[in-house]
Order: sequence, then structure tokens, then C-alpha cells
Amino acid sequence: MTNIVATIDQLAAKYPNRIAYDNLGHINTYGELKQYSDALADYIMARNLPAQSPIMVYCDQTFTSVATFLGCVKSGHPYIPVDTHSPNDRLTMINAIAQPSLVIAVQDLPIDLDVDTVSAVALKLILNTPDTQVRPQYVAGDETFYIIFTSGTTGQPKGVQISHDNLQSFTDWMATFELPDTPISLSQAPYSFDLSVMDLYPTLLAGGTVRVLPRETTENLKDLFMALPQVPVNVWVSTPSFMDICLMEPKFDAAHYPDLTHIFFCGEELTHQTAAKVLARFPDVRLFNTYGPTEATVAVSAIQVTQAVLDQYDRLPIGYAKADTQITLVPGTERTVNGQTEGELLLTGPSVSRGYLNRPDKTAAVFEQSNGQQSYHTGDLGFIAEDGLVFYRGRTDFQIKLNGYRIELEEVNHFLNQVPWIEHGVAVPQYDRNHKVRQLLAYVVLDEGQFEDHISATKATKEYLGSRMMSYMLPQRFVYRDELPMTANGKVAIKQLIGEANPS
Amino acid sequence: MDAKATVLAILEDLTGEDVSGDMNVNLFDTALMDSMDTVQLVLELTNQLDIDIPVSEFDRSQWDTPQKIVDQVEAKLQ
Repeated sequence: MTNIVATIDQLAAKYPNRIAYDNLGHINTYGELKQYSDALADYIMARNLPAQSPIMVYCDQTFTSVATFLGCVKSGHPYIPVDTHSPNDRLTMINAIAQPSLVIAVQDLPIDLDVDTVSAVALKLILNTPDTQVRPQYVAGDETFYIIFTSGTTGQPKGVQISHDNLQSFTDWMATFELPDTPISLSQAPYSFDLSVMDLYPTLLAGGTVRVLPRETTENLKDLFMALPQVPVNVWVSTPSFMDICLMEPKFDAAHYPDLTHIFFCGEELTHQTAAKVLARFPDVRLFNTYGPTEATVAVSAIQVTQAVLDQYDRLPIGYAKADTQITLVPGTERTVNGQTEGELLLTGPSVSRGYLNRPDKTAAVFEQSNGQQSYHTGDLGFIAEDGLVFYRGRTDFQIKLNGYRIELEEVNHFLNQVPWIEHGVAVPQYDRNHKVRQLLAYVVLDEGQFEDHISATKATKEYLGSRMMSYMLPQRFVYRDELPMTANGKVAIKQLIGEANPS
Repeated sequence: MDAKATVLAILEDLTGEDVSGDMNVNLFDTALMDSMDTVQLVLELTNQLDIDIPVSEFDRSQWDTPQKIVDQVEAKLQ
């Protein structure tokens, strides 16, 4: 059996001067990746932490973060990437659920977590220890490799545990897409979002270069479009939403980006419109639409979107299951719509996670094991054609995707109703004509006499929520009402509000 | 419809707020808008007013209040 990090180490020993990481011109080699991660692994092992206990990494989009991840798994510990843009409350909650034995702060923590912490300064010193003779204890087999926290329904995030073998099932599959020999790949997603795994590990395992476009750059269009020509890549990995932004630049085309050979979309529904635009700009690129939840390691199905596919389907399919995985419908959820049988998609295979860290209740609700195979109930509605092509039809619950981020409406509601001056609030998605969520709205009943006008109420509410929840979950618009519509059994009539937000 | 009214209507649609009484409010600092909203803003201005806003020139600091957006748009319409 091969090991992912051992393979990367072997590449580093063979080609120490190859460029592993290029962060807007700040370059680091495979030799440095090995040296830094060896040094950190040596340090971690000397601390004698409980075996396989998780290490929280407070990370940004830098080489130091990547070297830290590898240092953790080289010392036998899974890492939990927590982005530096996370609000303090999320840090506290993840810490409480995960109970890490160590926190490594690539940037200094904004709050004290009452856990052993390696500060940013200490980390620099450790990473730069020369010539460590470490005997790596690579995370292997079904040991946990990373834990990524997603949204949870009661404001409690859930930590998806991905094992070495889960990840290997995914990277083996990525190796079948005939990427260039030493690919240069775009890395745009932060490491706390598992889309980043799609560029990071397949690229490092192929001895390629990860080219980063950090959030600080992509936030301002002018900076983004200045940086974009400086990051020529072969392999583009992003959400369709991020591609939509880039397509606003008319010079973003094959003539100006001749090196681009592959585009992978994941994280949200790819619309026909976006795919058609991409193919018009890059006629020779191989464009893949992929699908998968974090619980099944990044993605489990793909289809190359060609002109023929665009001609055949108005709503694009999400692909065929990878060879080692079965996509079926959860028994009992099937129903016939327009002559087609759709139901909840069930994923079974070696990339399906063992479950949520320290949450057996939440795990039992959506994971099951039979005949030694792990399955995950996705909550996604789908239709599976006779040849195995899968089509996405929506959600069975109140989870949505906005700009690639997964959001549980109930989690947003949980936070909304904690705002001291909000009597009652619910989050409602507003869709565009391509069935994509365009905005998240909050219908709110305010306590009386708190604010002069709605602008000041919105400002105060956004400020209050901004310090407690991830910014991507924040409703963009607040709609104020004297009361919210109720159903017969006393719940907010969410479907009625969705109808109001989306007049047809 | 004049430029100011169009800008205010687009901003109201994006942010859910009538910002006409607060033309110098910083839309990003107050979280009324985020970077995805800027994309919508540029698209709507381009479509509704038939002006060209090269995104490579879209420096957020020049577009961060309703007044600045109106000024930018009026300069383009000249």
C-alpha cells in the first residue's frame, strides 16, 4: 500500500528544487516542504501527545499552512484546518467539540482557547530547524487524516473525519483525469473548505505546483484581475461562482491563458450558462462538472461537459460515480416526477467518511455500514439515468449552497434568534432563474422601539452576527415584518416565505 | 430614469435597504455588500445603463459608497 505523504516525501527527495507552492511570486520548493514538515513532525512527536489526537491548525492560504498540515500527518495526527477568517465563537465551538491536543497557530489566535498552542513565532522557529532526522509516523489506512468542520443545524458545526484511505480513494480517482505531468494548479479555496483538497493533494502527488490566489486578492476585483494573468495554470479548480467573476474580464480566454487544459468545478451546481460561456472562451479545455459532499471526500462523480452535453441537457448532469463508488437512491425515498424516479442520493464506497468527530448521534443519523461498506445519506435529491448518469434535483432539507459554501438554514435561524433585539427571524434563500441561490434573505420581526430605521437595525444585526458566524452564512438582506406567517401547527411557514422571496 | 435613481434601485435590490438618505455610508464596512455583490452591481449597471465598466479597473475603494458609485457612473455616462 502506498501512503500519500510518503509519496510526496519521495518526490521531494528526488526533486528537491521543484516548485511546490507559488503564492503570488513567493516560491517554495519540495525540498522546503519536506524539511519544514519533517521539522514540525519531529517537534510534535517529541511532545508525546495522545496517539492520533487531532491538532487544530489556525491557517491562512500560505505555504506555512500546507507544511503544517503535512507535519501533523507525518507525526501520526490528523489536522483540523480552521480558517483565519473564522469568527471567535466558531473557534471556541470547534475547540469544544474536537478537543484537540494541540493548536498550531499559523497566525496568532485572536482568543485564548485554553489548549497547548504553538504560536506563529514558535512555529517559524520550529519549521526552520535544519536537518531533522525524523522517523515519520505517517497517518495511514483508516486513521483520520484531516477533519473539516461544516455547518450544523443547531449552530454546532460538525467535524467530518476523512481517513488516509478515504483521501487515497479520491486522489487515485483524480489521477485518472490525465492531468499534465507536473501540473500547475489554481488554489483559490481556503483550506477549511474541502474544495481546496481537490487542488492540493492531486497536485503535490504529481510533483506539480500549487498556485495560490488568496482571498485578500480575490476580494477586490481590481486586485484579482491584476493577479490573474500572473497565475497561469494548467488545472483550474474553483466553484462556478468564482469562475463567473473571472469571466467578467473579457481577456480571460484561451488566447491569454494558453496553458489551461483542465477545469474542475465543484461545490455548487454548475449552470448551463456558465459552462457554455467557459467553453466559448476555452474551446479546447476539458471541463468537468463534479459532485460530492465533504462527507464523501470532496467529490464522487464527474462528467466532461462538452458541446454535445450542453446541446442535450438544459440542466447539467452531475456525472457518473467514480469506479469504486455506488450512487443509488435511499430505499423508501423514491417518488415519480414527470415519469422519472427521483429520490435521496445514497453514496457507498471507500471515500465515505466514518462519521462526525465526537458526535455519534449525528453520525448515526446519516451514515450506515453494511457488508463492510460505508454509506452516506446525502440529503440531495437526484435522478439516476439507466446508464448511471446522475442528475441533481435539489435538497430534501433546508440546506443550501451559496457561492459554493454549504449553509444549513436552521443554523442561520439559530443565530438570528439569538440577536437580542430580534423577536423572531428566519433565513430564506432567493433563487435565480438557474435554480442557484443568489442571496440569503432574513425575514425578521424586531422588538419594538429599538431602532430609528431599518438601516440602523440591519447594520447592528450584521455587526452582531458577523462576530458570531462565518461571513458566508450572513444573510445579505433583511426584510422587516410585523409578524411572520405561521403554519397550522405553529411553525413559521417557511415555504410560504420562500414563495414570497421568489415570485414566479 | 437618471443615473442616481438607477444606482439606488440596484443597491436597494442588492442590499434590501433604501440608502438614499445615507449616500456616504461605506457599503463594505457596514457589510451591506460583499464581493459577490460587487459582481452583481457591475452586471446590473452594465445592463441597465449600457455603460462599460472594465472590471480590471474596479478598485473597491472607488466604489464603496452610494455617492461614489453614482459619481463613477455619471463620469462614464458623460
